[in-house]
Amino acid sequence: MDFTIRAATLEDCKDISRMIMELAEYEKLSDRVKVTQRDLEQDGFSKNPFFHGIIAEVPEKHKSKEGHTKVGYSLYFYTYSSWKGRAVYMEDLYVMPEFRGKGIGKALMSKVAQLGLAAGCNQLDFTVLDWNKPSLDFYLSQGCLDITANIGYHCMRCEGDALERLAQGDT
Amino acid sequence: MDFSIRAAKPEDSKDISRMIMELAVYEKMPDQVKISHKELEQDGFGANPFYHCVIAEVPEKQKSKDGHTTVGYALFFYTYRTWKGRTIYMEDLYVMPEFRGKGIGKALMSTVARIGQEQQCACLQLSVLDWNRPSLDFYLAKGAQDLTATEGWHFLRFDGDAMEKLAQEAP
Repeated sequence: MDFTIRAATLEDCKDISRMIMELAEYEKLSDRVKVTQRDLEQDGFSKNPFFHGIIAEVPEKHKSKEGHTKVGYSLYFYTYSSWKGRAVYMEDLYVMPEFRGKGIGKALMSKVAQLGLAAGCNQLDFTVLDWNKPSLDFYLSQGCLDITANIGYHCMRCEGDALERLAQGDT
Repeated sequence: MDFSIRAAKPEDSKDISRMIMELAVYEKMPDQVKISHKELEQDGFGANPFYHCVIAEVPEKQKSKDGHTTVGYALFFYTYRTWKGRTIYMEDLYVMPEFRGKGIGKALMSTVARIGQEQQCACLQLSVLDWNRPSLDFYLAKGAQDLTATEGWHFLRFDGDAMEKLAQEAP
């Protein structure tokens, strides 16, 4: 199947927002999505964006059952390792179910790696849920390491009231 | 003990580099540190910094056994969660052993949380090694959730040859 990968633009935010919701439903966590199309426009396409995006598109003749030609995306941003220097973090990777198995996911991920290398990054990091065997198997087959399983790193988060108290120095 | 917290300056890069190595030794991975104070200076203090840093300092009369007045740091950057929006990620938090137990670590972390709030970040994220009980307990006491333990999130990484190989397959 023909497809192209290109940088996301402001106009893509509606489709990105749709696909974010589809990914959240796949991860069984759709009630957690608070970011809107407008947030994406502001946070991804202003002077100092918080993220960058790439889109996978198919020609009109291959559009989805519901008429979409934007069939996959990846959101990424630059991070830093105090040991290794510049790194790139892939926050989301998603391909609509009816377009899977055609190399689109791999092409999106490769593009993020390519863009990261071009920016001087020497690590590409991301997270995956441990029960998500298809995704885990896909990533491990591409040569990545499971840092949590191998070295023992745990992801921690402070939010809501805990974050408020921390910011006020009250804990 | 008197101490103050301030934003790091380029001149602090040597001390930050020293403390990064001390933290790596504590985490039993000193051979993993590949960047020097030169990269730190370039990447943290240019036009588009990859990270930000706050420093803890003590007065001259309370300097360390080795004569240092810069006794702790927190290194952080901005990230994005497609469900919740802007976040702040604390990559490193470190206080020299002889200055622990005096509230410096907590003050550094609270400063990062406050900076995050000012930038409208919905949460503060970090990672910690599973065997690092003192740090795990410290963060859990501050209200952090262990997302690896509770939700099953794993960190995955492509680096070195694996990242190169992946990038070469980009369309």
